[in-house]
Amino acid sequence: MVGIGDCNNFYVSCIRSFNPKLIGQPVIVLSNNDKCVVARSNEAKALGIRMGQPLFQLKRKVSDYNVQVFSSNYELFGDMSRRVFNTIGRFMEHTFPYSIDELFFSASGYESIYGSHADMARMMIKTVDQWTRIPVSIGIGETMTLAKVANRHAKKHPEYQGVFVMDNPELRESILAEFPVGDLWGIGRQYEVLLKQNGIRTALELSRLPHDWIKQFMTVEGLRLVYELQGIQCRDLDTEPLHKKSICVAPSFGRKVWSYGTLCEALATYLARASEKLRRHSSAAGVVTVFIHTNRFDKVGPHHSASQSITLPHPSSSTMELLQYAEPVLKSIYKTGYDYQEVGLILNEIVPEGHQQQLLYSDTPNPRQAQLSQVVDKLNGKYGRDKIRLGLQGYDKSWKMKQDHLPPSYTTKWSDIIEVR
Amino acid sequence: MIEFENHIRLDDIRRIAIGKRLKIPLFSSYVSAGFPNSSEHYITKVCDLNDLCIANEDATYFVRVRGDSMSGDRIDDGDFLIVDSSQEPSEDKIVVVILNGEHAVKRIHYVGEMVVLESSNPKYLPIYIHPGDDFRVFGVVTRILVKPV
Repeated sequence: MVGIGDCNNFYVSCIRSFNPKLIGQPVIVLSNNDKCVVARSNEAKALGIRMGQPLFQLKRKVSDYNVQVFSSNYELFGDMSRRVFNTIGRFMEHTFPYSIDELFFSASGYESIYGSHADMARMMIKTVDQWTRIPVSIGIGETMTLAKVANRHAKKHPEYQGVFVMDNPELRESILAEFPVGDLWGIGRQYEVLLKQNGIRTALELSRLPHDWIKQFMTVEGLRLVYELQGIQCRDLDTEPLHKKSICVAPSFGRKVWSYGTLCEALATYLARASEKLRRHSSAAGVVTVFIHTNRFDKVGPHHSASQSITLPHPSSSTMELLQYAEPVLKSIYKTGYDYQEVGLILNEIVPEGHQQQLLYSDTPNPRQAQLSQVVDKLNGKYGRDKIRLGLQGYDKSWKMKQDHLPPSYTTKWSDIIEVR
Repeated sequence: MIEFENHIRLDDIRRIAIGKRLKIPLFSSYVSAGFPNSSEHYITKVCDLNDLCIANEDATYFVRVRGDSMSGDRIDDGDFLIVDSSQEPSEDKIVVVILNGEHAVKRIHYVGEMVVLESSNPKYLPIYIHPGDDFRVFGVVTRILVKPV
């Protein structure tokens, strides 16, 4: 069984975690440079505010309904994400961060410890709420795709209180029969239209289509999806197509690592992987988060963990450019004298490369770097991974971006911590 | 000797018993002047305040104190508190609470169905929380960081 924990309206919840006055109010969080909506509270959704809607279209609504507007603060979001994931990670051994607010976990074998999958999920939600005040929904199913379906079902039906376990074929079929095909993980607009033209409206109908047809019109990816819907595991995290919001690379080290040089090499390698992935999917990232930590289950030895984010002047997919920003971040959080188990990075604010909006930036990506990256990808594809790699560079932080509504960095800046009376 | 033992709070005993790390520097902090300093060569690492003050980093937050409502507990304006949200807010603990959307530091008491939040400055009246009020505990205060005047 596979589970997924998904934070509800994560960015909004991060701010509410420290500013409880916002609970019950319409709240929105904006993307880089305060351009458009990237997160909405349920109250904001109810006002008809759409995901991705530009702020200028909302001026009227914001003042009429007193909508609370915030810029993105990835220091805060990144730290709260780490806290939520670590908290969930106390419950089981294998977790896979999938985006800043989603974490897959392998749920098999834990029923006996916690009573049942549902009991385990409820306990996880309760603990995360107590420790971080972030609401989480948990879906559990036979495959990653079904876990996602279960999660969405839990979110849609408040009576389940954030937990839905799909653990038998009858239940699975009854849920899939109600599940709109367009909401499935991996079904984009095009496939949705194609399927609807062919009279396929629900996930169950899709799962019963002939395999030949699927393969012909929806490639082997579509076929995988169909298998997954039938409870046959085909997806595994390493080969997942890119999530729209973020990408996270953080394999644990096989041995303990203490030297900055080694951490740096690891970071550069992961970054090379991640940006390769970005380019493969013609995407670019706008924010880089780097984190390091020691093995927190290690009984002996001191512990250190830290994370820090940096916003790029423009989204990029160039390894070189991304590393230019990521390396100083690692430097700022690294402390000597610890045996590190993991260094990782999260790329956020992922947008399609050559996205129209990019033209609005004064500082645009260097096309030659993009070309260089393509050449490097080709050569590495031919001669093996990392045959061509980078040295480390300095960076120029003279840029500043628009963040007029920045929420405080409640957990990462002394000047921003909450006050009590 | 008995007086000396009284200075060790129950909390401290538990922390050492966990045996996470660096018992020796912790012990050395109780050593008075003149004690033969033979423990020195056991110290191989520098003491880290985090080890002392933070039991569960994923659930620990720092907050700043405003006002004098807890002056009786040596918590004064401008002090920093270390708050652990994973600890049980049991009877008589000093806790940070969220009441009507505001944060406050108070001593918590449970009286039947009710929660009573007590200030330690007599200027302030106790606050009674009834079932259904907009209230939750943010966390338990585990340390107070004070700057000497």
